[in-house]
Amino acid sequence: MNLGTPLKLTGVIFLLAVASTGHTHAATGTDTLWRLPADTAQHNPARQQALELISATKLPDSSVWWPNIKFNLFIENLKANIAYPLKVYQGSNTNFCGYAALTYLPLQDDPVTYTRFMLDMYLNGEATWKNIRFAPSPAIHQVAGTLRFKGILDIRPADQLWFLMLADHFRSYLNFFNRRFHPGSENTFWAACNYGKFNRMVRQMLGWQVEAHGSDLFRPHFKNLYDYLNKCLLTGTTYLYVNNTYLHKKNHNKFRGSFPTHFIVLERISRLPGDGDRVDIVYWDYGGRTLRQVDLQFLKRIIFGVSHCTPPDHS
Amino acid sequence: MRTIIPYRPLIAALLTGAVLLAGAASCTKLNITKYYRRHHPALDSIEDTYRKAYNNKPFSIEFTDRPFGRVSLELITDTLTYIYEYYVGEARLSDTLRKYGYDTVPVNWLIGRMRAMNCTWIDKLDYYGEEQRHSLIYLSLWPRALNSPFVNKKYYILTYFQQPQVFDSQGRLLTGRRRRHIRKINASVFLRLNDKVAYTISDRFR
Repeated sequence: MNLGTPLKLTGVIFLLAVASTGHTHAATGTDTLWRLPADTAQHNPARQQALELISATKLPDSSVWWPNIKFNLFIENLKANIAYPLKVYQGSNTNFCGYAALTYLPLQDDPVTYTRFMLDMYLNGEATWKNIRFAPSPAIHQVAGTLRFKGILDIRPADQLWFLMLADHFRSYLNFFNRRFHPGSENTFWAACNYGKFNRMVRQMLGWQVEAHGSDLFRPHFKNLYDYLNKCLLTGTTYLYVNNTYLHKKNHNKFRGSFPTHFIVLERISRLPGDGDRVDIVYWDYGGRTLRQVDLQFLKRIIFGVSHCTPPDHS
Repeated sequence: MRTIIPYRPLIAALLTGAVLLAGAASCTKLNITKYYRRHHPALDSIEDTYRKAYNNKPFSIEFTDRPFGRVSLELITDTLTYIYEYYVGEARLSDTLRKYGYDTVPVNWLIGRMRAMNCTWIDKLDYYGEEQRHSLIYLSLWPRALNSPFVNKKYYILTYFQQPQVFDSQGRLLTGRRRRHIRKINASVFLRLNDKVAYTISDRFR
């Protein structure tokens, strides 16, 4: 599948959309509505193929491998992910954001591989994604489908399976004290994803090239962050590794940790005319897109990593 | 010559300090029921107005600073959530609301009333039980009484349910009559204020 074309097409549509709407500050009275690229879900052959694959596969009403996964919810979840890939939700108060951000890519660009993998996993308790064999531990088989009080993730067993399976397979130094899954591990370092691990997952699972700037401790330096991000957006998918205590504030404490905690997908950045360094950013996280206005200085302060991902056939 | 150190006054002073500290830390636990009883007409009217306004067009309101001078609006559409931050009373705020098709009257009323009642955040949350989706209104309060320098910042969180809820003998919110597990919302256990309203004290307002 040529992954470069849809990306280019999306970029062109987006540029046309921006040009046609004219982007300015909300309060100045001019139009800030970001016109999304036309939704091609209904006519996307890959998504159609993935949905047909679900219909054509004979599945048992329950799986011996996944005793707590309800079949009807599992299938509904897969269909929803294929039809509305941006609605994938990591669950509230979990550390699954890295895996949810990763899911953004295969659901949009290769839903067939994703679907085949998930069906295989449901049937056999293990599966292969490209050349990587995923054999979740018995604890994961038991817990998938039982996570509760996580918002809509409660009724999305396929997403629970997917996130748990990825966290179980890919390890990093954060797992030093949390090697095995225990009840509640989804909220701990066991499920956390550091920057190196995230980039490794994108490279190994999807085969994409990742141009990564950043680390878990130190912020990267960019001569011109705005230009760099805009350049990245034109040629691929751009992930930002950010300190979420500033972006998604949960308390009013003056002193906050200075470390990255969250992955978001940057979809657009544009300057607000006549407003100095203020920019509009559109990003994806928590199952949806958000547009907000921030200072470039603020953006510099919260970004710990920029991963520019390009498909293998796109140099 | 031997120096006499006045131990007794020193110990008394230390003990008094410790008692005051403990008092400052524990008072947060005692006040919530009284606070709700005293202010429930105002708090309930915020919830009621918000629920109606949300049903017309979804949004949430957050005060981003201690003086309750800056307000952040999350305007939620099917495809995009817009987040804008303004000073309270700025004309741009109403312009933005009108631009996105919001009724400015209830939103401005909510901002004023939330400010007066020290509500720092209001939102509608979905939660799931027996594979069914339910919703509640999540209201975070940051009363000045909780701003003691001796304790971490704490928020009273009130949750307004649409249906009467089940609680155990200790007043903890349960998942339902059949499956009597303790329900957590945003990783917190909630306690009963009345059949439809529960509270918790949290170090996060959302």
